[in-house]
Amino acid sequence: MLGLGIAALGVALGLGLIGFGALTGMSRQPEAIGRLQVVMLIAFAFVELVFLLSVFVAPGIVKGM
Amino acid sequence: MGGLFTLGSSLIAEAEQTHEGLSYLGLWVNVLFVLAILFGLMSYAKKGLNERVFKNPITQGFEQVYLFIENMCVVIIGNHGRKYVPMVMVLWLVIFTGNIVALFLGESPTADLSFNFAMALIAVGYVQYEGVRANGLFGHVKHFAGPKLGGVLVIISGLIFVVELISEVLKNVSLSLRLFGNIHGGHVAVESMNKLGEPILVPYGMFLLPIKLLTCVVQAMIFTLLTCVYISLVTHHEEGHGERHAPAAAH
Repeated sequence: MLGLGIAALGVALGLGLIGFGALTGMSRQPEAIGRLQVVMLIAFAFVELVFLLSVFVAPGIVKGM
Repeated sequence: MGGLFTLGSSLIAEAEQTHEGLSYLGLWVNVLFVLAILFGLMSYAKKGLNERVFKNPITQGFEQVYLFIENMCVVIIGNHGRKYVPMVMVLWLVIFTGNIVALFLGESPTADLSFNFAMALIAVGYVQYEGVRANGLFGHVKHFAGPKLGGVLVIISGLIFVVELISEVLKNVSLSLRLFGNIHGGHVAVESMNKLGEPILVPYGMFLLPIKLLTCVVQAMIFTLLTCVYISLVTHHEEGHGERHAPAAAH
């Protein structure tokens, strides 16, 4: 349970950083919003995958050991 | 190797534990339901195709989807990206419809790991096919070995080759687990929120529906977007390596 909390903390920090970076870039260059959104979503996907792995896969590995 | 095998079997066991009561037949019924919705909508949209201006709202909707996918392909893959629009569009439509079905029914094909894994296999297999078609078999295999290095550095090329092969296999896992985790995780979250509101008879889970709708669109988009990125990585032959996929990754 504690591990879940730690994973959520890390992912929240990562998502916040991505959102921060994307928002800063978008406000500086409004004409690049489309491209920025695409890459932001890709980065979101990669960060989220870590959390999903820790939630869905890690219990299976721990049980398997 | 044995560790990998136990990891795989425990993954399968986990997946079998988590989906409740969805057999192969149930999965087929779900998939056929999704396909029936898609084909019905498309055959209705086909009626409006003959006019100069599409007045049929469904046709207009499909036109918007097509423009969206085409724009995505051209931005990510480059000028030759228009070839890959049909496959990417099919993936997008199936995943999106499956996700929307997940909002109304307790089960949906995209909330099932086996369906997602099959779809990821198809997507990655299609990427390999396109890579072979664009570069030839030898060129495609050589592409795994990274940039050309001379002399003793050939050993490093071999290492890069092995690592690239592993990452190619892991693409399947990451694509399927991402979709499964998001859709299934949404279901689990709604269930636990409902349990939270049980004492005061408020189904809290319904407040999660807007965010689940957002997840539906975003997940369908991310799956197809990553497929586009993989296609763009294997099918650039004119330009240099880093030069071509730097714009796709950095913008």
